[in-house]
Amino acid sequence: MKVIKIDKKDWADSLGKLSGPYRLFGPVRDKDFHNFKELGNDEQPDFNFQNTRVSAKSMVLPQSETLFTYSLDEKEPDHHQMREPEKNYSPRAVLGIRPCDAKAFLLVKRNFDTPEYKDPYWVRAYEASTFVGLACDDPCSTCFCTSAGCGPFHEEGLDLLLVDAGDHFLAKVLTQKGKNLVQAAGWGVETNADVELMKRTAESRIASAISTEQLKGKAATDLYHAPFWEEAAFACINCGTCTYSCPTCWCFDIQDENHGNAGVRMRNWDSCMYPLFTLHGSGHNPRETKIHRVRQRFMHKLKYYLDKYDAGIQCVGCGRCIRLCPVNIDIRNICELMNSHDPGACTCQVA
Amino acid sequence: MGIEPGRLHFSWISSAEATKFVDVVTQVTDAVRALGPHENFVKHMPKVA
Amino acid sequence: MVGYIDKIKEISERLLKEGTVEMVIGFQKGTLPMMNTPCFAKTPEDVGNFVWDSHCGINLANYLTDRKEKIGVIAKGCDSRSIVTHITENKIKREQIFVIGAPCKGMMDRHKIASLFETEIRSVAENDGKLIVTAGDGEKTLEKADLLQKNCAVCAHRNPVIHDELAADPVEDQKDVDRYADVREIETMPPAEKWDYFDDLFSACIRCYACRNACPLCYCPTCFVDESQPQWVGKSTDPIDTKTFHFLRAYHCAGRCTDCGSCERACPMGINMRMLTKKLEKDCIDAFGWEPGLDLNQRPPLDTYKMDDPEDFIK
Ligand code: SF4
Ligand code: SF4
Ligand code: SF4
Ligand code: SF4
Repeated sequence: MKVIKIDKKDWADSLGKLSGPYRLFGPVRDKDFHNFKELGNDEQPDFNFQNTRVSAKSMVLPQSETLFTYSLDEKEPDHHQMREPEKNYSPRAVLGIRPCDAKAFLLVKRNFDTPEYKDPYWVRAYEASTFVGLACDDPCSTCFCTSAGCGPFHEEGLDLLLVDAGDHFLAKVLTQKGKNLVQAAGWGVETNADVELMKRTAESRIASAISTEQLKGKAATDLYHAPFWEEAAFACINCGTCTYSCPTCWCFDIQDENHGNAGVRMRNWDSCMYPLFTLHGSGHNPRETKIHRVRQRFMHKLKYYLDKYDAGIQCVGCGRCIRLCPVNIDIRNICELMNSHDPGACTCQVA
Repeated sequence: MGIEPGRLHFSWISSAEATKFVDVVTQVTDAVRALGPHENFVKHMPKVA
Repeated sequence: MVGYIDKIKEISERLLKEGTVEMVIGFQKGTLPMMNTPCFAKTPEDVGNFVWDSHCGINLANYLTDRKEKIGVIAKGCDSRSIVTHITENKIKREQIFVIGAPCKGMMDRHKIASLFETEIRSVAENDGKLIVTAGDGEKTLEKADLLQKNCAVCAHRNPVIHDELAADPVEDQKDVDRYADVREIETMPPAEKWDYFDDLFSACIRCYACRNACPLCYCPTCFVDESQPQWVGKSTDPIDTKTFHFLRAYHCAGRCTDCGSCERACPMGINMRMLTKKLEKDCIDAFGWEPGLDLNQRPPLDTYKMDDPEDFIK
């Protein structure tokens, strides 16, 4: 694939050009951290960040999203009908997304875009998006992407990969969408610069890793009944921060809100860490204790997903859940417990 | 939290104190009317994507 | 405070050996600097994992909720006050717990420390009132006193108010701290400015409820924000709903909150929701002379009536 050189002094200009054909999104600084936002006119994405506080998943799966609206006002033509709200699915470009967040969309896609079922909102938003990645040259100590099927220069899920090379970016064009964006921006200076060395340097800076090779061979029931869950879950306060900040967590809850004669049906992020997530109408809760819930989160990510799709774990190693968990529950430790679990060696069982 | 003080009133009125009730209601409505409609802490349709 | 650990281990081991308690709740070392994780010991051998230093900010009273066994728990001043609150609210019986008191010199504000460095912090050691912090861009020695959690900097009750045994001699309480300078500043704002202040304060909130879940007082089986029949408050990220959650939660903690700072510490977005609980704390002092969690035998102001309760707001 070809590599293009973009002078940083031309950057603002090119964004100006892009803001016509695309809605632009990018990381912006909010008080002490960065998060993805839609960029206003002439607003520049701020690339001076290690990773955004929460993931970029809201670019495609907003935390709260309207599914339908309705009105009971008989003066309106389609009263008493659920109608789909008009949404803007015009082309959008997500600038400066980290490779882990982009790869995460592919993991989520296995669930939201299958031959049998398609989540229309997710699919349309995803297809409207061009992902302009920003390679990591300064990974966090908690990033373990290289052992989670991803990496600081990983290309899967991206349309274009930017590499910061001092006074310019090197841009690797990866897909047709990427090509179109390059054209719209007016970037044309091809170079034979090689990012391979930078890639290897960045990869060597990833200081932490997980081992997952044993997970596949273990029986789910053995892991489920493993004795370590009580201890592993003890500190958890079931706050859901890990799942809200995670790029690969996709669960949502549907709620109706009524205002006067009209209302909306919306979906909001939900989390397997909340007791309400599994509470039945009868009052019975199959995942009654936090031990059940913590186990579910890790079993889903590291075992069920792996077994179901045979395409790796449901984690890209961004490390957010480690950094943000208020009580320091660390997926790397849990993964190790699971990966090295030897059911034969156990004498006790957890309910 | 940004609600004007004149919007919130408390009173004890016994069911026998009809005149006090009238006075208080008049005071309350006058005070709130003077402040005009409150626009901040009001939810219309939820603001979601 | 580093010296406490031997005594804590000795007491815990003894309690477990003698069968006085079935478990002791304390802290073990986390995987990141400045992050200790709540943990339990059920056998005398487990006690070896315990640590105690200036990064034990989480309120362990939160881990007592609804447990049935006899528990030993390590408690700082604020934790002990939350435990008192749990006892007066009949959440737990005094006899069910053995309080290992840890007179406290204040816990570190990890967000603030992180913000002093350009790069990530690799390790933090403490020594005699100083923190030696190593980050990617070098090592700095910092004064602990300058880096206390905001609530610890204005803490007026550092010693555990109830305890069955102490891990160290009581410490001297901070004198003349002005607990409410920040609250007074907001009180003087005109309404519109106040509104903008809170608008901005909660603008980044993702409604994960980590603040609520880290709070030892928020033990309701179903919180009002989770209820959907009736739906007291909308569930989306609508800013009015988000503020409603915060305002109401603060009211639910009125007269109960001991300003342990767990909520602020837990928030992934660095939001200082303590501004609300502190205001109510101040009001409770002003109106009822009440500070929560100091006395097992006193009923909290919102469940008692006194002839001299202020009522000048009633016309
Ligand atoms: S962030 Fe930590 S405490 Fe919160 S739900 Fe996740 S694992 Fe539990
Ligand atoms: S599980 Fe944790 S490390 Fe893995 S993708 Fe999610 S937030 Fe990142
Ligand atoms: S912890 Fe922070 S982000 Fe989460 S609900 Fe509380 S204030 Fe909002
Ligand atoms: S906010 Fe109120 S209802 Fe919710 S858990 Fe706390 S005290 Fe209970």
